[in-house]
Amino acid sequence: MLMADDSAAPSWKADVVAARRGDPSAFESLVRSVQRPVYGLALRLLGNEAEAAEVSQEAFLRTYQNLHKYDESRPFDLWVMAITRNLCLDLLRRRTKVKTEELEPMKEVLASGEASLEDGAIAKQERQSLEAALATLSADDREVLALYYVQKRTTKEIAQVLGCAPGTIMARLFRAREKLRKQMSTEEPT
Amino acid sequence: MTPTSLECPDLEVLFTELESGEHGPALAHAKGCPLCTAIIEEHRLLEKDLYRLADPLPPPDLVHKVMARVAAEPPPLRRELWTGLSILAASFVLGLGMLFTNDTALIGTGTSLARFLVDGKAFLEALLSGAHALWSTAAAPVAGVLALLLFTSLFGIKRLAGNGPTPSEA
Repeated sequence: MLMADDSAAPSWKADVVAARRGDPSAFESLVRSVQRPVYGLALRLLGNEAEAAEVSQEAFLRTYQNLHKYDESRPFDLWVMAITRNLCLDLLRRRTKVKTEELEPMKEVLASGEASLEDGAIAKQERQSLEAALATLSADDREVLALYYVQKRTTKEIAQVLGCAPGTIMARLFRAREKLRKQMSTEEPT
Repeated sequence: MTPTSLECPDLEVLFTELESGEHGPALAHAKGCPLCTAIIEEHRLLEKDLYRLADPLPPPDLVHKVMARVAAEPPPLRRELWTGLSILAASFVLGLGMLFTNDTALIGTGTSLARFLVDGKAFLEALLSGAHALWSTAAAPVAGVLALLLFTSLFGIKRLAGNGPTPSEA
């Protein structure tokens, strides 16, 4: 289960305690350990690199400001992800309309970002068509698919981020997968 | 994909069983139904592709930008302290405000304060007299107990403070 960045399992508890006391290197270590899933979620929800980077920064700043409210019994990364998600949803609500031009760079960004990580088992074109189909789904569907399949979270963990029951996540996953499958089957003939 | 025939279970039921690992009636049906088996296989292929996707790499300067913004912020513990003090101050002001707007409460408080001052003075005198008597009869043990209390208090404060960062690090 992917829980953090490329590094080994981070010692969140010690870093959180040190960061609360004002140790900047401890907070930097926390940011490094969760920056990739945080940015990944923001990018999949917003579909825009600049906005995703800005929201990620804001999420980490809020994390720092509210570090005293963090419940150490819960995974730190899920807490930051929940903050990120709320900021993304706020931004999406503020948007009056989604411009189609915004979705185009997202497909390229996501596809190129994976190319360096993939082991070549899946063709680049297939990956791009999958990303393109994902980009057409609603933010809610993209979010649950990205958390489950891309970030390899359990339904229980996703439920913590989204603030709902694990059963709801399973139903949402099913519906999102169905929409994605339909989307991909309509794209196939062209 | 929609349910394939009247006998076929609802797809949501089928996939709920599949994901939870519980072999219920839907999966039992799917075993002998070529249409349901095909649906499951198609979803498995989709899942396989989805699992191969990865999160994009964040911008290389993300951590640097975050830390630059964090540097301008007060440490979280100090923020917590100020928040607590602000709440205390606000409660105190609110309490005083309520007291001054209520005549009965103000009179009651004044009487209680006067009584406390009179009684407190007598109590303090009695306490000092007792302490003096104790000191004159057993000075050494009293001094020992006081020193022990002082030492344990200081040790406790040191433990509470822990090994925090130096002021320059903070």
